[in-house]
Amino acid sequence: MGKNVLLVDDSKTMRMIIGRTLRQAGVGFDNVFEASDGLEALDVLDREDVHIVLSDINMPNMNGIEFLREKANRDAIKDIPVLMISTETGDDIMGEARELGAVGNIKKPFTVDKVDEVVTPLL
Amino acid sequence: MSAPPDINEKIVECVSEIFNSMVMMDVSSSGENLSSLGEIKDSITAVVGLAGTHRGVVAVHLPNRIARAVTSNFLGTEIEEINEEVRDAVGELANMVGGNIKTMLSDNGADIDLSMPSTIGGDSYFFEKPHDVDTVIVPFDVPDGTFHVELQMARQ
Repeated sequence: MGKNVLLVDDSKTMRMIIGRTLRQAGVGFDNVFEASDGLEALDVLDREDVHIVLSDINMPNMNGIEFLREKANRDAIKDIPVLMISTETGDDIMGEARELGAVGNIKKPFTVDKVDEVVTPLL
Repeated sequence: MSAPPDINEKIVECVSEIFNSMVMMDVSSSGENLSSLGEIKDSITAVVGLAGTHRGVVAVHLPNRIARAVTSNFLGTEIEEINEEVRDAVGELANMVGGNIKTMLSDNGADIDLSMPSTIGGDSYFFEKPHDVDTVIVPFDVPDGTFHVELQMARQ
């Protein structure tokens, strides 16, 4: 069965870049869903069958940390793995993300090889 | 200035990394520091703010033709005009530059917040700095010309 991914970033450009990078890395997904913030991401997770989420941290309306916190409170979606893709690298914020369930992080800017290295083992 | 003494070199490093890994465009810079850009013409500028232990702004000033080329490379499609996609792409470029600079300035960037990017552009404008601010302006050369990355920081 194919896998579906949800890309969460307030920049449409960045969502397209991540999607392109996943394809270049040979990471195949049947469906690529998109959301521009944590609120939209929760809505997608409630409606669609998603196997992995790649999420930015700094977003309006609901940021990546708030998204993780809210997602952890919802039994139906709490176990879907979330990978953070962000310019943030601080130990505090990454530590908080991991405590809230994030399974890893990719720093922007990223390469195809880096995305392959981090994403593929999660599928 | 409260930035590290090698900030010019570090800005060159971070912009080069972004362009090599994600924009897929050749870029080079001598790392020189300009005192002022003066009148900015036919360009688009993306700005992110820094707040916390270090206060200031990071701006990326791109002539329109370079902004279109960067966006084309980001999206893998030909961009013919300055539109929402270009503004978004340039904003994301500033976001990545700002994020890297924030990391350089202090403790892995943990005590500095980065704002959402804003963009402004047009036929002719000035990007002025307030008083008591130190400025670093680094030029970068790409196939379509020269763009600039500017860091303005409040003196500490």
